[in-house]
Amino acid sequence: MSVLRSMDKLPDLNRATVLLVSTEDALLQQLAESMLKDDCASELRVHLANSLPLPSNVNRPRIDLIVFVINLHSKYSLQKVEEFLQHVDSSFFLGKVCFLVTGAGQESHCSVHQNTVIKLAHTYRSPLLLCDLQVESFRAAMARRLVRILQICAGHVPGVSALNLMSLLRSPENPPSKEL
Amino acid sequence: MSENKQEVHPDTITDVEAVIDTEEELIKECEEMWKDMEDCQNKLSLIGTETLTNADAQLSLLIMQMKCLTAELGQWKKRKPEIIPLNEDVLLTLGKEEFQKLRCDLEMVLSTIQSKNEKLKEDLEREQQWLDEQQQILDTLNVLNSDVENQVVTLTESRIFNELTTKIRGIKEFKEKLLLTLGAFLDNHFPLPEASTPKKRKNIQDSNAQLITLNEILEMLINRMFDVPHDPYVKIRDSFWPPYIELLLRYGIALRHPEDPSQIRLEAFHQ
Repeated sequence: MSVLRSMDKLPDLNRATVLLVSTEDALLQQLAESMLKDDCASELRVHLANSLPLPSNVNRPRIDLIVFVINLHSKYSLQKVEEFLQHVDSSFFLGKVCFLVTGAGQESHCSVHQNTVIKLAHTYRSPLLLCDLQVESFRAAMARRLVRILQICAGHVPGVSALNLMSLLRSPENPPSKEL
Repeated sequence: MSENKQEVHPDTITDVEAVIDTEEELIKECEEMWKDMEDCQNKLSLIGTETLTNADAQLSLLIMQMKCLTAELGQWKKRKPEIIPLNEDVLLTLGKEEFQKLRCDLEMVLSTIQSKNEKLKEDLEREQQWLDEQQQILDTLNVLNSDVENQVVTLTESRIFNELTTKIRGIKEFKEKLLLTLGAFLDNHFPLPEASTPKKRKNIQDSNAQLITLNEILEMLINRMFDVPHDPYVKIRDSFWPPYIELLLRYGIALRHPEDPSQIRLEAFHQ
């Protein structure tokens, strides 16, 4: 068992690796397939994990982006993601982590309030993406978007760094009084 | 002939050497960059691992982000534009790539504009068809409008005229009917005394004048009332049978002159 670190290995040539983390295996599988279908100049690697920390005996490549997928229809999903965050090095949160929330379209099924995940993303200074992964067209659009973010995080886009991108993606600061 | 061959050979050798030199230069640059990355990697691996908890996550991350952004800003300020090596082969390759990319972009723009044109043509055809249909509807409605106007005019004039004519005819018939009925009533209930008892015959023999019917008396009174309204009194004549005069006075149909008892007038029922 080891904590994930963002710069523990030298980057492979023209390769980008993303780690999708969630307790929803089916959603992760579908999202991964959509991402691999997308045209990408870099060689794309998608790793799936249903829990953190990862076993340390396996030799794995350098991870450029971590996507935490939260299902609003399952409190278990949110609780587990909150636990997983304890096993990620702080350097990852400089633009190499994002939260992907699914299930907001059917509010009658939501057992997690949307404000909860918004606060979580705000606490960790990371962007929050909303998408209904059950719908194929939405999933394809989100996959395209994630691939683009991944290329920037891996450093394959000149002139833009991951931290710059995440600063642009983040919504305006909430008033402190509301937060308190 | 042998001299020409010797001249060609050295040129070829020179070109090959130039290409090899360019590639070697690029490879050297890449190797230098890779060494720099390895040095940075070694430095980074010495930094310890730090995890975050909910309590202090924001503060730590904000501090780290501030440091990183400050460092990036410094790098951008320090950065100097790299000059592409002024080598013919390198420039040629870069130029080819640039033109290739430009060609792709222009082809994409062309296809986009063509599809947009096709869409506009379809829209134009649809709008034209819609306009034609609206024109037909307008013509049809105009025809209907003129027809309705003509009918309305004819119908209105003829109808009003017919209605008025019918009313007038009805009123005239009613008037004649009333007059006949009233005349019959008077003839039945107020006959002349000629056909009555012998006593009345004696009276007739005594008087020289000839009696008139109650109908005629009333007619004289009515005509006097309307022909000479300022003096509606009628002088009692011998041709008036006294019981009928008494009848009219008793029932209030006629009034006696206040000063001259020999004159009577009709009650002003119409006022």
